[in-house]
Amino acid sequence: LHKTSPISVILVSSGSRGNKLLFRYPFQKVSESPSSLTAKQRNPYALNTTVDTLEDQDGDSRFSDIILATILATKSDMCGKKFELKIDNVRFVGHPTLLQHSPIMQVSKTDPSPKRELPTMILFNVVFALRANADPSVISCMHNLSRRIAIALQHEEHRCQYLTREAKLMLSVQDEITTMTDNGSPKSPFRQILPKCKLARDLKVAYDSLCTTGVVRLHINNWLEVSFCLPHKIHRIGGNYFPPEALEQSLKAIRPYHALLLLESEKALLSQLPLDCSPAMVRLIKTCSAVKNLQQLAQDADLALLQIFQIAAHLVYWGKAIIIYPLCENNVYMLSPHANICIYSSLAEEFSQQFPGNNLPCMLAKFSLPVSLAEFRNPLETPAQEAQLIQMVVWMLQHRLLIQLHTYVCLLVPPSEDEPGMKDEELPLAARVGSRSLSTPSALSFGSPTSSDDMTLTSPSMDNSSAELQPGGDSPLNKRMTETLLTSLSEYERQVILNIPAAQNPEDLRMFARLLHYFRGHHHLEEIMYNENMRRSQLKTLFDKFRSVLVVTNHEDPIISIFQSPME
Amino acid sequence: MVTRIECIFFSEFHPTLGPKITYQVPEEYISRELFDTVQVYIITKPELQNKLITVTAMEKKLIGCPVCIEHKKYRRNALLFNLGLVCDAKTDTCALEPIVKKLSGYLTTLELESGFISNEESKQKLLPIMSTLLDELNATGACTLPIDDSNTIHLKLIPLRKDPQIVQEYDVPVFAQCKEHFIKSQWDLTTQQILPYIDGFRHIQKISAEADVELNLVRIAVQNLLYYGVVTLVSIFQYSNVYCTTPKVQSLIDDKSIQEECLNYVSKQGHKRASLRDVFQLYCGLSPGTTVRDLCSRYSQQLQRVDERRLIQFGLMKSLIRRLQKYPMKVIRDERSRPPRLYTGCHSYDEICCKTGISYQELDERLENDPNIVICWK
Repeated sequence: LHKTSPISVILVSSGSRGNKLLFRYPFQKVSESPSSLTAKQRNPYALNTTVDTLEDQDGDSRFSDIILATILATKSDMCGKKFELKIDNVRFVGHPTLLQHSPIMQVSKTDPSPKRELPTMILFNVVFALRANADPSVISCMHNLSRRIAIALQHEEHRCQYLTREAKLMLSVQDEITTMTDNGSPKSPFRQILPKCKLARDLKVAYDSLCTTGVVRLHINNWLEVSFCLPHKIHRIGGNYFPPEALEQSLKAIRPYHALLLLESEKALLSQLPLDCSPAMVRLIKTCSAVKNLQQLAQDADLALLQIFQIAAHLVYWGKAIIIYPLCENNVYMLSPHANICIYSSLAEEFSQQFPGNNLPCMLAKFSLPVSLAEFRNPLETPAQEAQLIQMVVWMLQHRLLIQLHTYVCLLVPPSEDEPGMKDEELPLAARVGSRSLSTPSALSFGSPTSSDDMTLTSPSMDNSSAELQPGGDSPLNKRMTETLLTSLSEYERQVILNIPAAQNPEDLRMFARLLHYFRGHHHLEEIMYNENMRRSQLKTLFDKFRSVLVVTNHEDPIISIFQSPME
Repeated sequence: MVTRIECIFFSEFHPTLGPKITYQVPEEYISRELFDTVQVYIITKPELQNKLITVTAMEKKLIGCPVCIEHKKYRRNALLFNLGLVCDAKTDTCALEPIVKKLSGYLTTLELESGFISNEESKQKLLPIMSTLLDELNATGACTLPIDDSNTIHLKLIPLRKDPQIVQEYDVPVFAQCKEHFIKSQWDLTTQQILPYIDGFRHIQKISAEADVELNLVRIAVQNLLYYGVVTLVSIFQYSNVYCTTPKVQSLIDDKSIQEECLNYVSKQGHKRASLRDVFQLYCGLSPGTTVRDLCSRYSQQLQRVDERRLIQFGLMKSLIRRLQKYPMKVIRDERSRPPRLYTGCHSYDEICCKTGISYQELDERLENDPNIVICWK
């Protein structure tokens, strides 16, 4: 947990008054300031171990204000880029930003009167100190936040000199405190700055949020909003977090037949949205449901599928939703290997509160073996009880307790005893047709806005969809199509398949040939059903008829398994 | 990941010219601009001396450790220098840090012993030294260089690896590569002692008992082997175990090299090599509710050329399958009775059996018919 939290936040500036440390939080523990070291008696025989013995795990309290100002207020040619500096076990990351000044601020050259020097700020840097072993993606995120705050501050500075005013306040408080401490014990000036400076309070809020929820929401100068989330804090299962790259990869691969499952109630979610959020987002949240796939959601919410993908990805990134396969009777669920099933967990408590009279461990035991929703429900129960059972399944999905299993099929022809050499050399069908493009458009293919309009209402079409093949047995056209489809097989494979009793039926053979490219273990039953507009029973019968050349297995969908199992 | 050093530089504080780069290999690599921007991090204020400083600027990463030696004999009463490395900004430079620290230590020693740096003549030897360092570290990741009669530099780039998982008593270590490639003499005595007992079937507790080595020592030794990728961990094998496939099982079809490795590993000795179809069918035959025993009776034809124990072992090592463990939970209990210690849903049968010494069957008999206990598989 500590690896993803910052050690501190620091604001520095550089200008006509030199390099200044304006604010830092948390406040430095004053008793450990470096000056107290030199006061110790130096034993001439002792090894010069410097400050290693005083090294505390929370890195940066060893650094004085002055040195921080020197090293963090960079030269102007480092501005506008990511700033990264590592000193021993502390890593500083920021985005130094140049300020352009409006002509009003410049002192006129022709004015003969003694110039009242207006201290001008040339650049500033909002820096986060992190533990040196922080993950590169965490460092990247922190840099992002620093940059966003910098953009807001630059804007407000240009509009109304906000930063200059706040900086002036901060420095004057610091000056006050230093004159006071000549008499008494040193006090931290930053503590005194907090009540007087909104910017200081904003930085404190940013730091506190990063350490706790990972969600930052600031209003710079009570005007510009800066919002940010640290995915590492938000997406956690047990002690593990999802690396953002894995999350992004998953989001790019979602299909229209997937569904969006909200992790909070509609009401709670809507109340968290900012006032000026997009109406599309609101519509989506209101229309969203665990039984509706993204395509249906697009229709019901009257939005383009591309938009749905984008908003869904956004909600997932912010930890407000996950991607599942829409709930239906035939869905098969099993306990997730990462499910927290401890009887003392807070989950058990929550479950009992949500569903009084029900016990989470007992419910979980029911999913020890894969069970379909249809089996799970008891037809003798009242509709109200049935509805509650569905609610419980939804609850368990939201809390990452269940995974859904899908059926995958692979074509593997029994090797011939006569030609073992040849069999070993040839790659199985799956590897050979690997380059063939997938039939359902994934989120990636919705790159250009224009294509999305075509996709809203119709089912995605594909090269050899059922619409194209004419019904009616042995027509020469159909026969030729079947032959073409089987050409990707080797002669031997074709022979074996044609010798299967079921292959004597031209309808069955045609269906088999048409679906051939799905039989490489990467497309589950539901996907084939969706693309080909087929019923489950049709497919299952086909698999059974050709079972001598097909191998079937059940496991979770790797595209969305990240939401239940982060440790891939 | 390759850590390539682009440049080695020697920077010092010249008494009249101030901070400058005295030598750099290759020449002219660090531009005037770059040095101006980063010099405050190279020749630093006292507070930052002796610290490892890495700064990123202009697409480059500079790693150095500023040194200050105070003495009246120096002009300005102190000698300030920094021998640093330069890499591309995207490089992960963690492995270079110990090298930079060591180099700063070496130079400090040399200066204190014989004025190596402050003497203009001997200082010139730095240039060929830096050149050799650059070449050898990039080529082999190591460098041994005698400097003078009494000092030799030994440097080695050690890549950092991820922390290994904690090894439990019920985990089974199995060699990730061929055991023959393992050079015993390179390892510590404990590891050498337990080596003969690592066969992919003995779990930690058993190895400890049979090798007569204390349990925690075995755990640490195996964890060490895990860190270096010499072994991976699988679970105890029993015919009553239940496994299921993971999405990775498809890699057996997609990836020719895994296929080859698998078929070689799982084929029975002295028989013809097993066919891909048989092996794939066997893996796909593993599912919740099916024990290994069930698999053997259902797929006896496929198992003619396949060793089922090695099949399971390979499947676990490559994550093609995963083990389903049983977790007992005490759900109904007397208010007055003690809270369950092991039957909490956090401890698997494997763990409970290992810790208490009860056999799997015994535990099963005790719990299966206990109305207060609920069992989850996951």
